[in-house]
Amino acid sequence: MSNNQLTVFVVITVFFGLTIKPALAQQSGVDSALLQRIDALEQQMADQKPGESHLMIVGVATFGFNANKTTVIPQGGPGQSAKTVTLGDADRYEFSPMLLWRHGTKWLMEFEPSFDGNNLGVNWANISYFAAPGLIVRAGYFVLPFGIYNKRLAAGWIDKVAPDPVGIDLPGSDFGMGISGGLPLGSMKWSYDISLTNGLQLQPDGELQGAGIVDNNLNKTVSGRLSLLPFSNSCLEIGVSALYGGVASGLPYNNANATMYGADLNFVKTLSPILVNIKGQFSRLLVNGQPYVKPTDSSAYTFDNRSSSSFIQCSFRPTAGQHAFVKNLELAFRYVDFETPANSFWGQNYHEEDLGLDYWFSWRTVLKFTYAWSRSTNTSDNTSGLKGVVTNMNNIYLQFSLQL
Amino acid sequence: MKPILKRKMPLVAFAVVVALATSIMVSCAESQKVKAKTGAQLWAENCQRCHNTPSPASFSHDQWTTIGMHMQTRAQLTDEERDKIVAFLRQF
Repeated sequence: MSNNQLTVFVVITVFFGLTIKPALAQQSGVDSALLQRIDALEQQMADQKPGESHLMIVGVATFGFNANKTTVIPQGGPGQSAKTVTLGDADRYEFSPMLLWRHGTKWLMEFEPSFDGNNLGVNWANISYFAAPGLIVRAGYFVLPFGIYNKRLAAGWIDKVAPDPVGIDLPGSDFGMGISGGLPLGSMKWSYDISLTNGLQLQPDGELQGAGIVDNNLNKTVSGRLSLLPFSNSCLEIGVSALYGGVASGLPYNNANATMYGADLNFVKTLSPILVNIKGQFSRLLVNGQPYVKPTDSSAYTFDNRSSSSFIQCSFRPTAGQHAFVKNLELAFRYVDFETPANSFWGQNYHEEDLGLDYWFSWRTVLKFTYAWSRSTNTSDNTSGLKGVVTNMNNIYLQFSLQL
Repeated sequence: MKPILKRKMPLVAFAVVVALATSIMVSCAESQKVKAKTGAQLWAENCQRCHNTPSPASFSHDQWTTIGMHMQTRAQLTDEERDKIVAFLRQF
């Protein structure tokens, strides 16, 4: 190599050395930052234990408008009418945030406080342990497994018409423990939901009220629901429910107990272009405590303490329609029948029909227009002075409900 | 029947039903037709049993896992249904 060649080689080496070094340093800096970030993410993943807590808040808000006309017709006398117009949708107003707290994939806490316009209450507060496939163990305050309405359909953004079906609230929520699960059965499916709770409580006049955290007797109440989904596409569900337990203690109600049984069905299928939705529930309640105490003069009286409640509803939504506005409409109808014991102080035969037109802004946001008319005939004890009185009600609801 | 036995009837009934449910549950199996169902199919079939089918964009991936568990307690979904539906909703 000549001196000139050597000089050129040195110059080129120095030149590239000076230009490449900063570039390499820069690249090395980027790599270093990237590696640090990957290390941090790897550490983060390593720190994520199976039992990590996850808290989320969802909830329901339902409000609206209700115009009511009530006509009371005494036996042999002219009827008297009264009208009310209420914002806040009367007793259907609901504001219920729900806290879901998942701890890993085995534990779930559910808590739903609720403000209904008059009271601040709790719909449920329970913990569930996902013990095995098809077996969830829960404890706390929860909706009893009886029928389908209270546990699945009562939320304003799910219900197709504005009011709840009258008389369907029992047995409600209770304190206790239970197990539930859904399991395959070939191409069918079945589910069970069983609980052991404090139970309902008998009032002196023979009415039942919801349970408290302290039971009024030593007997616990068993309730449960079994359901079968006979088709592989889950379009039909048929359920049977039962409840049995003590409802009081002390004379004269030592042996007082309540028995409930019921059946429900749920059919949802698109019969193109209409989504057809049929739901129904029937329940019967028998209480054997006797005698009861009249609220008017505290004297003893007896009656056959049997009640029944039922509803059937159908709704139709043109989901496969051409026009977006039409696809979001849903037409709903519901019939409600509620009978409380004749010759008791709260005896009545109640019938209600609801006709509704809903507009769905999204899958969980709905505006409902419902017209409801009901007729109630008083069947109470002769001494109440109300026997035979007929009460007719006409209600218009405009209700907005949203789940977030 | 002795009063104490009568008082224990709900507990006995509860225990019997639990034992029966446990024995039946271990003997159940799903058909190939059901096993082959996708998360999208199960999402369309099961959610609308009670409410409209939810948009996958409504919640985060992690939240869907929580909601899947909540829905299982409400609608008694099978474990496989829950897992497939949640996996489908988490894809978006």
